[in-house]
Amino acid sequence: MKERDFERLVGGMEIDAEPNPAHKERLRQQMLATFETVGRSVGPALAPTPQKASLTAFPLMAKVAVAAAIVVAAIFGVQAMIRRGWGPPTLNQVRQATERMAWMHAVVTEHRDGTVRTEQHWNDFSSRKAYILASDRSVIVSEFGSGRRELLYSPQIRAVVISELPSKGLFGADSAYTLADAFAVFAAQNDVTVAQWSDRYEGQKVLMYELDRSDPGVTVVGRRVGQLRIRLMADPETRRLVGAHIEQRSSSGVMLSRQEWAMSYPQSGPMSIYDLGVPESARVIHHTSQTIGTPSQDPRPIPTPEDLGRSRLMPLEIALPKPQFVGTPKDMQTPNLERPRGGPRPPFLVPVGTTNLALGKPVSSSDPEPLIGTLEMITDGDKEATDGSVVELGPGVQHVTIDLQERCEIYAIVVWHYHLRPHVYLGMVVQVSNDPSFAGRVRTVFNNDVDNTTGQGKGSDLYYTETNEGKLIDTRGVQARYVRLYSNGHAAGDVNHYIEVEVYGRAVP
Amino acid sequence: MAKPVDQTPYDDLVVQARTQSAALAELYELYYERIYRFCVHRLYSTAAAEDITSGVFLTVAAAIRQFKGGTEQDFRAWIFTIAANQANAYIRKTSRRKRLMENVVAMRRAAQPQDGPWSAMDWPTLYTAILQLKPEHQTILTLRFFEKMDFDEIGRVMDIKPATIRVTLHRILRRLRDVLRDDLGCEERDEGA
Repeated sequence: MKERDFERLVGGMEIDAEPNPAHKERLRQQMLATFETVGRSVGPALAPTPQKASLTAFPLMAKVAVAAAIVVAAIFGVQAMIRRGWGPPTLNQVRQATERMAWMHAVVTEHRDGTVRTEQHWNDFSSRKAYILASDRSVIVSEFGSGRRELLYSPQIRAVVISELPSKGLFGADSAYTLADAFAVFAAQNDVTVAQWSDRYEGQKVLMYELDRSDPGVTVVGRRVGQLRIRLMADPETRRLVGAHIEQRSSSGVMLSRQEWAMSYPQSGPMSIYDLGVPESARVIHHTSQTIGTPSQDPRPIPTPEDLGRSRLMPLEIALPKPQFVGTPKDMQTPNLERPRGGPRPPFLVPVGTTNLALGKPVSSSDPEPLIGTLEMITDGDKEATDGSVVELGPGVQHVTIDLQERCEIYAIVVWHYHLRPHVYLGMVVQVSNDPSFAGRVRTVFNNDVDNTTGQGKGSDLYYTETNEGKLIDTRGVQARYVRLYSNGHAAGDVNHYIEVEVYGRAVP
Repeated sequence: MAKPVDQTPYDDLVVQARTQSAALAELYELYYERIYRFCVHRLYSTAAAEDITSGVFLTVAAAIRQFKGGTEQDFRAWIFTIAANQANAYIRKTSRRKRLMENVVAMRRAAQPQDGPWSAMDWPTLYTAILQLKPEHQTILTLRFFEKMDFDEIGRVMDIKPATIRVTLHRILRRLRDVLRDDLGCEERDEGA
């Protein structure tokens, strides 16, 4: 029985619900009498009273407590003021404020040799460790102590090389394991004056610290740097670093390398190289007091990049719902099933400015009247596997289509079916198109429909087990307005469920 | 994001009713029939409905000075919450529930025998089935189908997320279908459900 059937049923019923006028009148009098009685007994206490009267009624002890709280707050405020200083923070204060945090995460975009590389850096300030994940999936972990122990994993040789290195940080700065460290140490060692001013960066007010040094004594891929310019940007409120630019030019002024850093301060970070995707089967090779060789190739000068805004990357931050089951799901006896990852999803990089474009956008479906829930719940931002979040579509092949309402560059689609239990949904096909009917040019970005039950062609992607992480589909910047998701029930039943679909991207410029 | 609150011409009346009996009397005129009808649908018996309606308005009269809401929407949610709670409290007493059931069964016997289709079902038959649901589920059903409230409004009355109400309603209808089919021998006509 559906809602509309029940509505019809109730609408056609004869129910005597005519009130009795005598009861109505009796009750009116009783009610007004009660109202007056309560008003008299409660009296003016419930009427709005002037502020002064209520203050007078305040007990003396409470007044004293409030006064004491104000005095204490004022003392702490003044102390904090003194501690922070009156003027803009010095570089050393920025360094301290930055390193007071548990972790720093930086996305570093480097333009060198005509190519753009992206790295992610994590600094664990408590244990003085730095983790670097490069775009080619190589990983470097540096442990700073009296020297520097470095673990380097290369996906080409599938091995981890452990070396002891001299404790030189960036730009040769001794014992410097963060950019701010390196900046300060380098400035002190080279007696460079640091310029400081307030500025705006990407719409945000920042404090800028700049050092400019000729012939700094460093090289870029074997070529001597003639001019080094480093700009650090700090948030004037928190005093923490939020960004940096590093430019290295040859003595003739040609740009050799340019880096842009964007910092954030997460609660935690990787605990070992294995958290950054290094396979546990990787060989481990120990070296001692050996430096890792640098390929000797002549650098090719590159022009200064003009528009860097659209090429800078950041890790995609996806708010995850509560997990509903613990541990690795059992093998569901489904062939072609992806092996559980056994850990959190590795960071997924997207261009800066990427957002969830599907949030609140209209959804249509092959089953316009879901058995449970409504279609708009698929893009309402609620991803929890609770009764009020799930949409159940009818049995067999069904699809939902999200209209992003404009053509967009799509970098990732994240899908949550019903993740209350480790279900495996079948015949999942994800397509994008600019045609609402999907009759024109259609791009399939995911297809695990091995039997072509959906009629969208056979797919070679693997089935996967639903978890609270959802399924992230890398769509590589495909441009489209509509996103359609097919499914054909799940391994334990023939109905189709959706909790949320997120489409990460940006409007086409 | 919270839904914007609908403005009604009676918002001022709600504020005035905290201190002025004339305003309260006007609210009474506006709501008496709705509350009475709700009680009839929940309790079947007109006598019980009158008792509960009285209880609701006397509670309102006693408590409206402390009522924090400032709009008619707030007042509607509040008064229906009171009515739903009092009706549920009434129906939870086994003796009353038994008496209600006896009344309904007697009414059904007196009515024409039912032999199936939904369209021919009468109110006593349907009420017998509804009475087998949990009191809270009876409230949801009544607010949705007899009071024609939307899910947001029911959510405010029952202090439950609208999406949860929607899912619960789906389950209530499924349960009702089973009750009608199994206990009362009604055939289901809707093949699609």
